[in-house]
Amino acid sequence: MSRWLQMLVVTRKELRDAFRDRRAIYSVLFGSLVGPVLVGVMFNAIADRQREIEDVTVPVVGMAHAPALVEWLRQQSGVTVVAGPADAEVAVRERREDVVVVIPEDYAKKFRASQPVELQVVSDGSRTASRPKVQRVRALLQRYNGEVAALRLIGRGVSPAVVTPIRIQDREVSSAQQRAAVILNFVPLFIVLASFTGGMQIATDSTAGERERGSLEPLLVNPAPRMAIAGGKWLASALSAALSVGITTTLCLLLLRAIPLQDLGIRFRLGPGQIWWLLVAVLPLCLLSTAIQTYLSTFARSFKEAQTYMGYLIMVPTLPGLLSSVYPITSQPWMYPVPILGQHLLAGDVLGGKAPSPLMFALAALSATATAAILVHLTTRMLTKEKIVFGR
Amino acid sequence: MIRVEQLRKQFGSVTAVDDVSFVAGDGAVTGLLGPNGAGKTTTLRMLYTLMQPDAGRIMIDDVDAVANPLAAQARLGVLPDVSGLYPRLTARENVLYFGELQGLTGTALAARTDALLDRLDMRAIADRRTAGFSHGERTKVALARALVHDPRNVLLDEPTNGLDVMSTRAVREIIRRLRAEGRTVLFSSHVMQEVSALCDTIVVMAHGRIVASGTPEALRAETGQQTLEDAFVALTGLERETAE
Repeated sequence: MSRWLQMLVVTRKELRDAFRDRRAIYSVLFGSLVGPVLVGVMFNAIADRQREIEDVTVPVVGMAHAPALVEWLRQQSGVTVVAGPADAEVAVRERREDVVVVIPEDYAKKFRASQPVELQVVSDGSRTASRPKVQRVRALLQRYNGEVAALRLIGRGVSPAVVTPIRIQDREVSSAQQRAAVILNFVPLFIVLASFTGGMQIATDSTAGERERGSLEPLLVNPAPRMAIAGGKWLASALSAALSVGITTTLCLLLLRAIPLQDLGIRFRLGPGQIWWLLVAVLPLCLLSTAIQTYLSTFARSFKEAQTYMGYLIMVPTLPGLLSSVYPITSQPWMYPVPILGQHLLAGDVLGGKAPSPLMFALAALSATATAAILVHLTTRMLTKEKIVFGR
Repeated sequence: MIRVEQLRKQFGSVTAVDDVSFVAGDGAVTGLLGPNGAGKTTTLRMLYTLMQPDAGRIMIDDVDAVANPLAAQARLGVLPDVSGLYPRLTARENVLYFGELQGLTGTALAARTDALLDRLDMRAIADRRTAGFSHGERTKVALARALVHDPRNVLLDEPTNGLDVMSTRAVREIIRRLRAEGRTVLFSSHVMQEVSALCDTIVVMAHGRIVASGTPEALRAETGQQTLEDAFVALTGLERETAE
């Protein structure tokens, strides 16, 4: 019987064994679901914020002094005007209101006399959460100011253009999809993480667990090359990791489709091809992540020790993700063949709508697979060591 | 047939097995007898190729076990000192897994497994997960696993250790049957009754060396002792040690 067939025998046994273990099933499910759930929650929070800005409620004190202004505000889309609290400053300080507009009593008199009226916009600048709403209110008042000024100038026979020497126009250079990718940065991170959480249980249970149960010695008495044993265990964990990556990717993409991203000002279109590119980008990582896990767990003296290593290992894939969310990394060509980092960048590119370069995909996959092969080889060699087989 | 010549194994400065030679013939039961720490398990581990001898030669039938470990393993059925079953697999699945690793497939494997489960009187527990099995039941599964590929040579490391009376009798019965089938059976034990009841040849080990070997009668005659137990004590020098 060829060593490859024996490897598949080991793989099948490990998968069957693992999926009878509730812990293994939970760890695959938890690892696969945590990403999509968090992405959903995050987008919901962003959507809520956005809605808050668009549908703004403006508390106004002294509405009776400026009926025309209040009426104009009411006519703006998404704006609701309500009577403000008598103690505007206290209300804002105590966070009962985000912003309050105070119209002075002499509004009508000064307005008629074409004198500047002092309107107060009460807000708390230390609260970042209310800042967009305050800006919206301020912008509304500015616009009213502009319209009235224009009317006054026209009434005096002056073109409003005369008093508008410059006009600022914002032009954003990053494409809408690229901006979306910044927010979507977490999706690649979760997919990469799934490749680590998905195979972890099998990797540790089939190596360190096998030794702890005393079943490694009987297993190695069979005339199967160590490569078939190590390879079979590794392949079983890699398949489990791939399953987890598949679930996470599919759920994340379904979620992104379900969320009305356009409403958030993000023009993000998910083509049906993107899920395949994502999988092509990240699946090779499953080979590497589980090869590292199998190697470390074979080295570990006990199941517990193996789990400790796994805990540290899970921090590695979060590093590029964390760094890139703090300092947006401009991807350089040399980064793509770096295992883990490369997959992260590729996944980000696919979601950001950048044209995928097949060369980079191939390089990233090749380097991950080669590193995995080396690690599996080292694990195989470890299984020939008496100290490993018979404990230390 | 198992032939061992001048086997030596060292762990650091400790010589665990030193100049051990013996022959275990076909259709015979050979007992490796000795107190704990005598080097029995280390010797067996070298025989089933999980440990490399520092010197010496091991022949399993006509295969050099050091040069060609996988071929030697295919000719061996091994019950190591820990049964090490997979608790989430059934008894049958445990046996099938090892059968597949031995290269058996399909109906041949299924038939062989069925026959073994029958012979070991395990029908009732065959399709239960081994998690809650008693020590005797676990030993039976491990035995079935060791014999699934119909090996010519059988190595058993303390097979009756910790078993109750009924299970011990069952294991002895299996060993006798293996001998009747013409196989080479080599088992280790530190229990005198065990060895005297079963063995055609006894190899007595102490401190990593062979101190005597022969039929039970020959050993008694050699030491001039009435019982095998006295012979054992005399041979291994246990008495002298306790006196010191």
